[in-house]
Amino acid sequence: MHTSRSGGCTLTGALSITTHVRDAVSIIHGPKGCAHHNFSLFHATMLDNEQAALPDLVSSALLESDIIFGGEEALARTIRSVCDRDVSTVFVLSTCLAGTIGDDVDAVCGRDWPVPVIPVPTAGFLGGSFQDGVNNALIALTVFSEPSQPGPCVNIIGEKNLEYEVEENYAEIVRLLALLHIPVGIRFVRNISPDDVPALGAARLNILRDPSLVPAGEHLRQRFGTPYIPSFPDGLSATLAFIGSVAAACGIDPGKALRTEQEFQAEILADFADIGDSQGIFCGPVMDPASSRAAREAADALRIRMSGNKDACQLPIHPVVGSSGIRRMLHRWRRAIHA
Amino acid sequence: MPECDNPLWPCAMTGAAAALAGFEGMSVVIHGSSGCYYYPTTLLHAPLHGTFILENEVIFGSEDRLREVIEELDGTGNRIAVITTCVPAILGEDTPSLLAEHDVLLVDSPGFSGDAESGYARALKILEPAVDRSAEGVNIDGICLLDPFFSGNLQEIRRLLGLASVPVATVFCRDAFSKTRTAASCTIGTNGDFLSGVGKYIGGTLGFDRLKATFERLGDVVEGSDIDPVMRELSQQEEEVSRVCDKFLRRFDPPSVVVFAGASYAEFAARTLEHYLDADIRFLGLRNTGGLSRYPSSLVTGLGQVKTMIELHDPDIVLGSSFERSVSGSRAFYGITPPLRGAVRLAPAPVAGINGTLFFVEQVLNTCMDHLRPTI
Repeated sequence: MHTSRSGGCTLTGALSITTHVRDAVSIIHGPKGCAHHNFSLFHATMLDNEQAALPDLVSSALLESDIIFGGEEALARTIRSVCDRDVSTVFVLSTCLAGTIGDDVDAVCGRDWPVPVIPVPTAGFLGGSFQDGVNNALIALTVFSEPSQPGPCVNIIGEKNLEYEVEENYAEIVRLLALLHIPVGIRFVRNISPDDVPALGAARLNILRDPSLVPAGEHLRQRFGTPYIPSFPDGLSATLAFIGSVAAACGIDPGKALRTEQEFQAEILADFADIGDSQGIFCGPVMDPASSRAAREAADALRIRMSGNKDACQLPIHPVVGSSGIRRMLHRWRRAIHA
Repeated sequence: MPECDNPLWPCAMTGAAAALAGFEGMSVVIHGSSGCYYYPTTLLHAPLHGTFILENEVIFGSEDRLREVIEELDGTGNRIAVITTCVPAILGEDTPSLLAEHDVLLVDSPGFSGDAESGYARALKILEPAVDRSAEGVNIDGICLLDPFFSGNLQEIRRLLGLASVPVATVFCRDAFSKTRTAASCTIGTNGDFLSGVGKYIGGTLGFDRLKATFERLGDVVEGSDIDPVMRELSQQEEEVSRVCDKFLRRFDPPSVVVFAGASYAEFAARTLEHYLDADIRFLGLRNTGGLSRYPSSLVTGLGQVKTMIELHDPDIVLGSSFERSVSGSRAFYGITPPLRGAVRLAPAPVAGINGTLFFVEQVLNTCMDHLRPTI
């Protein structure tokens, strides 16, 4: 049973995945307000990421009468209406209200529909946390794939589609993989078609966005035999370790890639020599251990000392990916130190 | 067709939070899951509290958790109000008895019970606002945290009342909580979709015509007021609006317009653009059920309807929210409806009052001219 009060909504987590499947509709089985909240959130995020496409959400718009007599008929009516449109796939996500009144969503989805209707276990907070929703949706989507022979590619699993820097983080992983001459297979799931999903089982390695995706990584390993790396790298030494891990998993000599990346990191640190030997304290809305560790390592490399004085210069930290992520963080530090 | 694609408007719970969170001296608790808490918090930019209930509390009861949160807030000196979300509303718990022990207000406003306006009205009713016959001046209503123009509206109407030497009594809903019980006997409005129903309604302030009529009535009913400075400014600025609109029409055809907004702002936009620009008002897509309109209009709740109406009416300019902007293609667009995402907004722009009309007309003209003028 889920025990964190701040774990967020399972529904939102699942939608962050299903809304990135092209030509698919996500039905939210619940009151209209739940769909509006999420539509508004995804709309804002997509604008932040320069994406013109809007999520295609349909609410079964449960009313008080449905709550008394059951909402399954409202769901069936909504699926019927959506299936009349030109859609490739229909995802059905339930809300905490639908979960509380006990609607059998799986049974309604299991009826004979003209397009695939895939239930994703959600039920708002009754289904767990935001992250559970992400994992459940990723696992639900694997129904489109079959095991196949591994090819030369690696897949990227579970990018944070609501993250402001999602494309920049992806670009950093692509850059690191290019040092090893490894192409990316599919981004599971970011702006893909259901037709792309069968390639899911053909990767020689899956790279998870972060360790909270291990349940999805394990599911893929058991289903396709694909090994995984549990996280994007979050600091200077972690980036070098990441290159080593990917190379080992793919049977490649990492020597040249590591030398190139070490030179790149040395250039970054040299560019920020002007803020070396200063003092500050870390601050930021997300002070998770990985981000703090990456920040501490960068500070040590530049001989920036941590101050015990709360009035000291505030050095913002945020979850970074790769050496390029550290460079962007150092730009923010320079701005803070020179402010 | 009860199902709704991409619903455009917040639920009753969010509307109730918008009303209550506008009052200083009030602690607002969203009784529900973290998901239900985060949305109004990010939308309203107001401090809210939550019970963040979990699955075991749905099974075994959420009263202990609610009591725990209330007891944490006790002693702050604030009045506590609890808004129920969908799941607690159907658990059948005796929440009223629990809250009565703590003198806490309960707003039963789950999302499935309606839209934002109904939740706003329900919350305001629970506050039992009262008129104090000795209170001076007038109340301002229609100030709702959901409205991206609420701050500009309030600033502008305060300015105009100051010019007219009329004190501001209570602002619904942006004031000290204690002032809900000492409202003046007259009220003027800034957004008719969020009326308070407190005191005698003197009139609205959207558009020069309504503003003029409202201030004329104010001059009659508020002792010691002097509306002449407002009337002089209004007259001067109306001439200026007429001049710039006339200049626009010497060169360009009047724009055809489709508006998506709450009934009150939609009517204002249509009236203003028709009057000063001879605009062709093709359709008003209303977020709520307002009064009768002389323009073609209907309730529009989902994005699919928005797309259909824009394609059907093929306007030069679309007024609405950033949802509408996303489906307006290359048409001119100006935002008057929440949400207005994807753009930086810092200054408190008004829709109400003299400056509200000036700002609105200026924005529409500039947007139209940007679209119509050849690139230099």
